Amino acid sequence: MFSWLNIKIGFFLAVRQLRRASIWTTSLIIFVMVLTFLNLVVVSGILVGLIQGSIDQYREQWTGDVIVSNLTDKKYIENSPNLIRLIESLPEIQSFSARYIESGTVEANYQTRRENDKPNLAGTPITGIDPLAEHAVSGVAGKVIEGNFLTPNDFDQVVLGSYLLKQYFPIESPGLEVLENVGIGSKVRISVGDITREVTVKGIVKTKVDDISRNIFMVDTQFRGMIGRSDGNVDQIVMKLKPGVDPAVIRDTLIRSGADKTARVQTFEDAQPKFLKDIIATFNMLGAAFSSIGLVVASITIFIVVFINAITRRKFIGILKGIGISGSAIEISYIFQSIFYAVIGSAIGLIMVYGFLVPAVAANPIDFPFSDGILVAEYGETFFRVFLLVVSTVIAGYIPAWMIIRKNTLDSILGRN
Amino acid sequence: MIETKDLVKTYTNGAVETRVLKGINLTVKSGEFVSIMGRSGAGKSTLLYQLSLLDNPSTGDVIIDGINTERMTALQKSQFRLVKFGYVFQDYALMPELTALENVALPLLMQGLSRERANREATKALERMGLGHRLGNIPSQLSGGEQQRVSIARAVAHEPKVLFADEPTANLDTASSKVVMDIFGELHKEGQTIIMVTHEEEYARRAERLITLEDGKITDSQSL
Repeated sequence: MFSWLNIKIGFFLAVRQLRRASIWTTSLIIFVMVLTFLNLVVVSGILVGLIQGSIDQYREQWTGDVIVSNLTDKKYIENSPNLIRLIESLPEIQSFSARYIESGTVEANYQTRRENDKPNLAGTPITGIDPLAEHAVSGVAGKVIEGNFLTPNDFDQVVLGSYLLKQYFPIESPGLEVLENVGIGSKVRISVGDITREVTVKGIVKTKVDDISRNIFMVDTQFRGMIGRSDGNVDQIVMKLKPGVDPAVIRDTLIRSGADKTARVQTFEDAQPKFLKDIIATFNMLGAAFSSIGLVVASITIFIVVFINAITRRKFIGILKGIGISGSAIEISYIFQSIFYAVIGSAIGLIMVYGFLVPAVAANPIDFPFSDGILVAEYGETFFRVFLLVVSTVIAGYIPAWMIIRKNTLDSILGRN
Repeated sequence: MIETKDLVKTYTNGAVETRVLKGINLTVKSGEFVSIMGRSGAGKSTLLYQLSLLDNPSTGDVIIDGINTERMTALQKSQFRLVKFGYVFQDYALMPELTALENVALPLLMQGLSRERANREATKALERMGLGHRLGNIPSQLSGGEQQRVSIARAVAHEPKVLFADEPTANLDTASSKVVMDIFGELHKEGQTIIMVTHEEEYARRAERLITLEDGKITDSQSL
C-alpha cells in the first residue's frame, strides 16, 4: 500500500485538494484541531499545574531546595551547630535558615474574658527564626499583608499566619480554632508547654502554604530562651541552593558527611507529603482521561470531515480508480490531508501554549483556593500528545476513505448505491 | 484484440433480476474505430463497461490481447486500465481541483513517469487538442468542449491501446461535438483503436464499424 509511487500520488492529490478547498472549511477544521490540541494540553496542564503550583510554593516558601529536620525519635537535631558549620562551608548553598519549631497555643481574649468564658485559643506551631536568614530562603517577609515582618532585634513581637485569624479564615470546624478581633498591635498570649508569654502582633503573613499561614513567627534569640534551648540545637534547617545546583547532590553530600546520623536530610521532593504525591498521580490520571476524551473528539471530527469529503467526492474517487489511479494512493491522499489538519492545528496550538499561555499563566497564576496554579506543559509530554493527535487523526482519516474507496468503481462513477 | 464470448450481465435488485446483456459475441480489431448505438436501456454503456474492465460480467469472457480478464485481480485490472486503456466520459470526469495539465499528467505520474516528463507529455497532448493556452486552468474555468478535449488529452496522453468513449458528445453543442469527433477521426487515422458509445447516428457513422444493440443483443454490425 505504502509504495513510494502511491505516497507520491497521494501527496500530489492531497496538496491539490487542500490548496483548492474552501478557506472557511479548512479554517474551521483547523480551528477544531487547535481547540482539541488545547484541550489535550491545557486541561491536563492546568490540572497538573494546580498541584505543581502548590509544590513550587511549598518549595519556595517553606522547604527550600533541601530540608534537614529532626529524626522521628528525637525532639530536635542533635549537634546542630556542627551541621550548620558544614552547611555554611558548602559553596553551592545560597542561603539557609535554622528554625526552632514547637507546638503551642495562642490566646486572644485572655484580658477580657470572664472566668466562665471559653478562651479564644488556637493551637499552632510557633517558629523561632532569624528574620533575615528566613527571608533569604523563604521570602516570607514579602508575604506580610498587614503590619511588618520581624527584625533581628524585635522582642515580644510576633508575626501571625493569617489562617489563625477569623477575618482571614472564617471557617469554623472542630479542632481548627481561629482568633477573633486580633490585628496589628493586638496583645496575644502564646504558650509552649508551661511557658506563657504576652506578645504583640507586629505583622500578619498570608500565603497558600499552610505551614506559614497557620504559624507564629518569633525572633529565634527570644524563642530559644522561651523553650529553654541554649545548646544551639535547632529543629529544622532549610536551604536555598544556587541556580542549577541539583538538590540531590547536596542531600547526598550532607549524608556522606554523616548528617543523617542526627537528622533527616531530604530534598524538597523527598519532603513532599504523601497526599501531595497521591494528588499528583490522581490529577495525572484525570489529565490522561480528559486527554483521551479530547483525542476521541478529534478523531470523530476528522472522521466526519473526511467521510463527508469522501462521500461527496465519491464519483471523482470512482473516476480516479477507473482511470487506473490506485485506491491506496487515494487513501494516502486523505491520510495526508488528516496529517495536515492535525499538524497545522497542533502547530498553532503549540505557538499559543508556549508563546502565550504558559508565560501568561506563569506571570499571572490562576488563583486556586490552595495554590497559585500554573500551566504545566513539558515539551516531551506535549510532543507526545501531538504525536497521539496525529496518529489518531490519521486513523480517523483513513477509515472513512477506506470505506468509500473499497466501494465498486463503477457504482461510484455512476453514483449507484 | 478485444473479444467477448457469450457475455452476459445481469443486475439483481432483491428478487428482481434484469439481464442487460444477453450473450454478446464481439471482436474489435486493433486500430479499429467501432461505434455502438442503441436505444436508451439497450445495454450499450453496460457493454462498454465490460469491455473496458470497469465492471465484471455475470458470465462469459472478455479477452484482451489473448488474455482472459476473468482471472485478473482487481489490481491487475486497475493496472490494465491505467496503461492500456483511455477513457472519455460523457460528463468529462475531470478532477475539479486539478488544472488541465495536472488532470492529464496524473495518470502519467501513476505510471511512474517523473514530474517533468509527465508534464511534458501532458502539455504535448493538450497542445494537440488545441489547449496549449489552457494548461493552468481548472475545469470550472473551461467550457464544456474544452473540458471534453482535456478529457481526451488525458485519455490518449499515455498512448493507450484502446480508447473508450461513453457518449462523448452528449453534453456538447454542435460545434464542440464536431471538434471532438474530428479529434477522434484524427486519432483513428493514426492507428488508435476506439470504441465509442453514442446515440447520435451522425457521429456513430464516422466510425469504421457501427454495432447496433437492442435489448441486450447485437442486432446489426455494419462496416461503414
